[in-house]
Amino acid sequence: MIRIAFQDVTVEFPIFNARGMSLRNHLIRIGTGGLIEKDAVRHQIVTALKNVSFELRDGDRVGLLGHNGAGKSTLLRTIAGIYFPTRGRIFHQGKISTLLELGAGMDAELSGEENVIRMGLIQGMTLEAIRDLLPAIVEFSDLGDFIHLPVRTYSAGMSTRLMFAVATCWQPEILVIDEIFGAGDEAFQNRARERMEKLLEQAGLFVFASHSGELIRRYCNRFFRLEHGTLTEVDADAVHV
Amino acid sequence: MNNTLMKPEPQESGFSLVEFRTVLRIAFYLALSDVRARYKRSVLGPLWITLGATVGTFGLGLLWSQLFHMQAEEFVPSLTVGLILWLFISGILVDAPTVFVRQASTIRNVRQPLYIYPLQLVIRHLINLAHNVPILLVVWMFYGISFKDTSWMALPAVAVLTLTLFAATVLLGFLGARFRDLEHIVAMVMPILMFLSPVFYRPSYLTLNKAMIWINPISHWIELVRYPLLGESPSPFLMATNGALLLACSLLAFWLYRKKHRNLVFWL
Repeated sequence: MIRIAFQDVTVEFPIFNARGMSLRNHLIRIGTGGLIEKDAVRHQIVTALKNVSFELRDGDRVGLLGHNGAGKSTLLRTIAGIYFPTRGRIFHQGKISTLLELGAGMDAELSGEENVIRMGLIQGMTLEAIRDLLPAIVEFSDLGDFIHLPVRTYSAGMSTRLMFAVATCWQPEILVIDEIFGAGDEAFQNRARERMEKLLEQAGLFVFASHSGELIRRYCNRFFRLEHGTLTEVDADAVHV
Repeated sequence: MNNTLMKPEPQESGFSLVEFRTVLRIAFYLALSDVRARYKRSVLGPLWITLGATVGTFGLGLLWSQLFHMQAEEFVPSLTVGLILWLFISGILVDAPTVFVRQASTIRNVRQPLYIYPLQLVIRHLINLAHNVPILLVVWMFYGISFKDTSWMALPAVAVLTLTLFAATVLLGFLGARFRDLEHIVAMVMPILMFLSPVFYRPSYLTLNKAMIWINPISHWIELVRYPLLGESPSPFLMATNGALLLACSLLAFWLYRKKHRNLVFWL
């Protein structure tokens, strides 16, 4: 059983200025009774999500639309359990995986092979599972003998290919994706697209954020639009290609 | 909406032993591979730490035993333990304020319990500490110090020290993520703490006010491990202070973790 439910979820977060991030300034403020360094306590609160409610079930393929800064990434991270709501309740059932920014756990000094294991572990796979999948990952990333060299010797395209190959090598129940198409050269992009399509087909439930109405219409069956932190569900027709 | 079928998300319910075992394995592997990465850059590999500590031990040992008018066979072993423990303790404390900040991209993009990062850091430094054990053995053989029954008490002592430092890392990590200058404050304070701790001397050598060094928790940690290695059991005073330090650090760390683990990601 796979489900996600949000009830009136609001996510706020503080933006501290440089003074607010300084312990020295806080101590000066306390020491002088607030005469000096008044600014140290001031911080802005950004409301990234406002009273968001929805329920997702097995088979829901959600496309998430919105401008830059509308709260797409915040919503994805809140679904993934990385951000916590300030108010409201969240219910999860099922194992959630994330495809947000790639490359978590990577160390440029180590070989590609070693980094496959590091990234795999940090995204929640077991050591045995990664070792089993290693040949497939190496083949997919098309790195050949480079896999034994330190990642710092790779070109940008090569390391992206490796990160993508690891991030997409397993089958999650619930998948949270921030737009990550467009990795590597054209030949790789086609394979990446194929892999993503397969991943999306097999996921029990996914939430996919993209600027591209075309991609969203192609893969999704429910459509959420975020505007200044407010979420509305829209019809397919409202999604402009 | 029918929520009766749904369980609250696992992270809400907090800590579980099964999760801890998985996390420990991941942290251990990552720490091991961190050490590997560090030595990819140098030919001598892990031996660099050992070499540095050896040179430090013998050089300072000879010099300071002259300065203090001490017998080298009494002074050098004590200095060796002091220096090795200092490297371990200060290494962790200096890295602790940035333990979460350095992992910002991981914390923002994958869901792992936050304590995995302090765990990884402490294990990494334990591996570095293990590199220095051969120096201890060489010095012990050179000066013909025999291992007594009490020597084995060094192991639980290191365990207590490690647990305390883990809690301290969580604490400093949270504070260091919220207050970015903590990193520099800690780096600034470390040399002072070094002179205030019995690295180069034993508290008994001091003629001036001994209370000065006992203000510094590092003194208690070093002495707790050093006593059994030199063949005596630690005093009840040391056991009590170390127990208190472990308890205090753990409680504070636990409290701060419970209270702020949801906020940490927004500070990065």
